[in-house]
Amino acid sequence: MHVKGLAAFAAAVGVGLLSGAAIAQEVKQEKQSVLGNANVPPVTQEQLNAADKNAKDFLLTNGNYAQTRFYPGKQISRDNVRNLHVAWIFQTDVKESLETSPIVVDGVMYVTTSFSHVYALDAKTGQQLWHYAHKMGPITVYCCGPNNRGVQVLGDRVYLATLDSKLMALNAKTGEAVWTTNIADPELGYSETMAPTVVKDKVLIGTNGGEYGIRGFVRAYDAKTGKQLWNFNTIPENSVGVWATKDATGRDMHRNIQAEKDMLAKIGDPYAKLGGGVWQNPSVDLATNRIYLVVGNPSPDLDGSNRPGDNLYTNSMVSLDLDTGKYVCHFQYIAHDVWDLDAVSPTVLVDVKDKGGKTIPGVIHAGKTGHIYVHDRKDCSLIRFSEAMVPQENMWVLPTKEGARMLPGANGGVEWSPIATDPGQALAYAINLHQPMTYHVETSAYPNGKLWLGGAFKVIPGEKQSGNITAVNYNTGKIAWQVNTPEPMIGGILATAGGLVFTGEGNGKFAAYNSSNGKELWSFRAGAGVNAPPSSYMVGGKQYVVVGAGGNTQLDYKRGNNIIAFTLD
Amino acid sequence: MFGKLMIGATALLLLAAQVCAETIEDKVAVCAGCHGADGKPVDKTIPTIWGQQAGYLYIQLRDFKRGDRKSEIMQPIATQFERDDMLAIAEYFSQKPWPDLGQPRAPKDVAAKAITASASVGCPACHLDRFQGDGTVPRLAGMGRDYLAKTIADFRTRARGNNPGMSDLMLATSPDDLAALVEYLAGL
Repeated sequence: MHVKGLAAFAAAVGVGLLSGAAIAQEVKQEKQSVLGNANVPPVTQEQLNAADKNAKDFLLTNGNYAQTRFYPGKQISRDNVRNLHVAWIFQTDVKESLETSPIVVDGVMYVTTSFSHVYALDAKTGQQLWHYAHKMGPITVYCCGPNNRGVQVLGDRVYLATLDSKLMALNAKTGEAVWTTNIADPELGYSETMAPTVVKDKVLIGTNGGEYGIRGFVRAYDAKTGKQLWNFNTIPENSVGVWATKDATGRDMHRNIQAEKDMLAKIGDPYAKLGGGVWQNPSVDLATNRIYLVVGNPSPDLDGSNRPGDNLYTNSMVSLDLDTGKYVCHFQYIAHDVWDLDAVSPTVLVDVKDKGGKTIPGVIHAGKTGHIYVHDRKDCSLIRFSEAMVPQENMWVLPTKEGARMLPGANGGVEWSPIATDPGQALAYAINLHQPMTYHVETSAYPNGKLWLGGAFKVIPGEKQSGNITAVNYNTGKIAWQVNTPEPMIGGILATAGGLVFTGEGNGKFAAYNSSNGKELWSFRAGAGVNAPPSSYMVGGKQYVVVGAGGNTQLDYKRGNNIIAFTLD
Repeated sequence: MFGKLMIGATALLLLAAQVCAETIEDKVAVCAGCHGADGKPVDKTIPTIWGQQAGYLYIQLRDFKRGDRKSEIMQPIATQFERDDMLAIAEYFSQKPWPDLGQPRAPKDVAAKAITASASVGCPACHLDRFQGDGTVPRLAGMGRDYLAKTIADFRTRARGNNPGMSDLMLATSPDDLAALVEYLAGL
């Protein structure tokens, strides 16, 4: 809405009746970029490689290339966290779902908002240094909010992927656009909400669109020029697989293999519109030059009748060669998924005990099923899965027209929310949802880039929903502790060397817990949903914890526009 | 016969020239006949397009032209336009102020029922907070009540065939809940 239009509207209905939403719309569309001057040194690859040992900065979306979300600083500890207080609050111009992971480089913070805005802030004071307001194209297609989960910096450039499916490099000092590359056609259902991962002059990016009949991919672009270097289709031309009848935990998925084989003979391999979005960052194993990512659900979500086979590599962890994008190995959790219980939370590289008790390089993933899966990094094979972190019931009943009740609901378990780990304790920390749902199936033809669910997943009105924070020992699969929360959880979590974990809730609570036993040690009420992963950093000799409080579209948690930093007195 | 053909061909050529030379105001002049010169539709089953999301308006024009969305009135109109015309028309109407149709707010009990139904299938995940829409997803807040009711009914029968995902969601929602949603959305 133009300012002129808004004025006319205001005159027509009276200014007092203007809704917050109308104002938010105004801000979103009219706000211009404000160039500035962030005095920030270039980020080197060596710095990024050593991010796991760097308590001063927070350089990668999930802390480091292994994605441990384990912050090595310990100035804020179990003993003093009760004294944590607000250092500053920055209000963004966009009051909509906030999923950003703040990045901090030498006292300069980069945060993003819905509709692909980027801000550079002084990490000590919260003062705005510059603001990039993306001029969104008219065509955006996305299922779960106009979210953006963050940026990454390499050299003097900030890398951003936008809702209208563009990849951009911005000048880290000024916010000016350096280059822009079209990733894919939004009219066909492609969009970007994830933060890129930048490594060895490559910008790695996946795509959303599993609800729209896309063919998913992961790509590497040249960090200097934006030119595509390689593409990996998450759906291979032979997507049929091995006709698996059991899931990763050994439970029967009630597939009608003969009917699927008959359909395959009739329509051929359905790979072209089979979905397989990649929602979150890959982990990078610098020693072996491999990346590990998870691939989302097949399209359409709930109707498997026209997509015979295992639908490879949907609902899978996949490993690729970093330099070439060539396939190395995969493990599929649920073949031929018809519940959207896919794989979205980012993978984490940690050393784990194998079945014989030997310590080996492992990779773990928290599923929407509510299990944490522990794999051998060498061949992707499954070593163990954890106890279920949420109630499971009636798995795997097939969706029906009238709706079949099954737990977990389609949001999980663990949604896109990154987990944290504390390798010293061999614990993984996950935030979970418990949302009883019925699963409904309908059949329709590919709708040219429109929403293609193949039915509906319905929250059952009146049934109690809840959430939890769960610590799992990944060497045993046992739950070490669990804290129940009144609402389903989505956002993320951070563990620190100070013996703490930090995470937030949809009701605005942001809290610190003892990472060994889950005891709550401090909390704060943000006034809007805290549904973003926290980061931590040092500036001026003091440790800060920062988190976005802007609510969430997918679970409709109260919106806000705050970036809040905390520190000790 | 030849004469008739010539007249027909000349008319077509004139029409083509007209389409090329037209300004955006010329192109949209025909729209006011149904969608309203002041943005208020002349019939209650016709949607509000003033202030609607540009991406949504473009997709509907595209789908009318393709025949994915059926309408004896809209299809011949949309058929005249190329993609750039459609985008320009969509942008033009999206910049107009959303008209106040003067529809009453839903009573509290109806609103509560609507909000529960909406949360159950996740309407705000696409239509966003307060049903303002974005991009290719339409604003529903304050849309004409009869149009909303007709559209939902058409989604349920798949007579409105250009968004099967919406049909699935509407089929999974009870008629009672949908009636509450219509009241609620119209009154926002």
